Amino acid sequence: MLDSIGSNLQQYMDLLATRQKLVASNIANADTPGYKTKDIDFQFEYQSLAPGDTPNVRDVSGLKTKNDGNNVSIDREARLLSENAIRFNVASSLLKNQIRGIRTAIQEGK
Amino acid sequence: MSLFSSISVSASGMAAQRTRAELLVENLANAETTRTPDGGPYRRKDVVFQADPQSSAFSSVFQNEFQSTGVIASDVVTDTRDPDKRYMPGHPDADASGYVAFPRINPAEDMVDLMGASRGYDANIAAMTAVKDMINKSIDLLK
Amino acid sequence: MSLPITTSLPGIQAIPTITAPSLTPAAPGAFQAIFEKAVNQVETFRQDADTKVGKFLSGEGEELHTVVMSTQKAELSFELFQQVRNKVVSAYQEVMRMQM
Repeated sequence: MLDSIGSNLQQYMDLLATRQKLVASNIANADTPGYKTKDIDFQFEYQSLAPGDTPNVRDVSGLKTKNDGNNVSIDREARLLSENAIRFNVASSLLKNQIRGIRTAIQEGK
Repeated sequence: MSLFSSISVSASGMAAQRTRAELLVENLANAETTRTPDGGPYRRKDVVFQADPQSSAFSSVFQNEFQSTGVIASDVVTDTRDPDKRYMPGHPDADASGYVAFPRINPAEDMVDLMGASRGYDANIAAMTAVKDMINKSIDLLK
Repeated sequence: MSLPITTSLPGIQAIPTITAPSLTPAAPGAFQAIFEKAVNQVETFRQDADTKVGKFLSGEGEELHTVVMSTQKAELSFELFQQVRNKVVSAYQEVMRMQM
């Protein structure tokens, strides 16, 4: 029964952490010649990934490539940075609530 | 798959941008330098960025960090083009025909580059802060 | 006058012996099985939490929130187990206190 507590939320947080790592890499390489923006297909991985597996890192389509071959858009990365952080916040608060709820339920039986 | 490795990534980005900024500042300061210790005018320096896999300082050998790509300023290239020759017969460094060799530096270009380096540095700081917040939120779950 | 003594007194019937009802449990060891399963479950959670913490400390790349969640689950399962055990023990004691 306790096994599946917040398993959805945990999967969500795992994928957000992976995405944030890729965003950090993209930002660090925003001026590296030939570097291509990396990302994961979030919704697809969330629906289909088994827990403990690593998601598929892919290149992003639809980005403008500069003269030196780099296609990092700093605006896109900044937007993703904030969005990931906020979503992670939300998920961890919801998870905290779930834990607290179950703990209360257990202790009410005293 | 730890978030800590992406702190290293952002740190590498900051270091690279700082190296780039330092070289640009050097170029700007020496935009009119006609005399260097090696003889000849100052030659413009440029930095080469290269993607570089990063791991956290605490990670073990069994870690496979395929996702965390940092950056490293792998090389400093000196401009090998012929220097800019200007006709200034009275100049102490003028050669026999009255031409003085000046560095091939466009200050406006380098100023814009410097702004770009500063913006890149800020972006890396923002990334590091966001990741640090996420780690703190995870710790909060324990409370 | 003589009393006829030929009328026989009705025989005193033997007092029926009271046989105790058979006290064999419904299925031998059913409660024990349930209890063992619960203990194993708690132990599994605890071991999982230990492994995850170990992996995190040795730098093998366990995400922090995964570690935290597994320790919370271990804690909760143990608490639940404790509360259930307390209830069972007090129920047992109440039964023992019943006056026969």
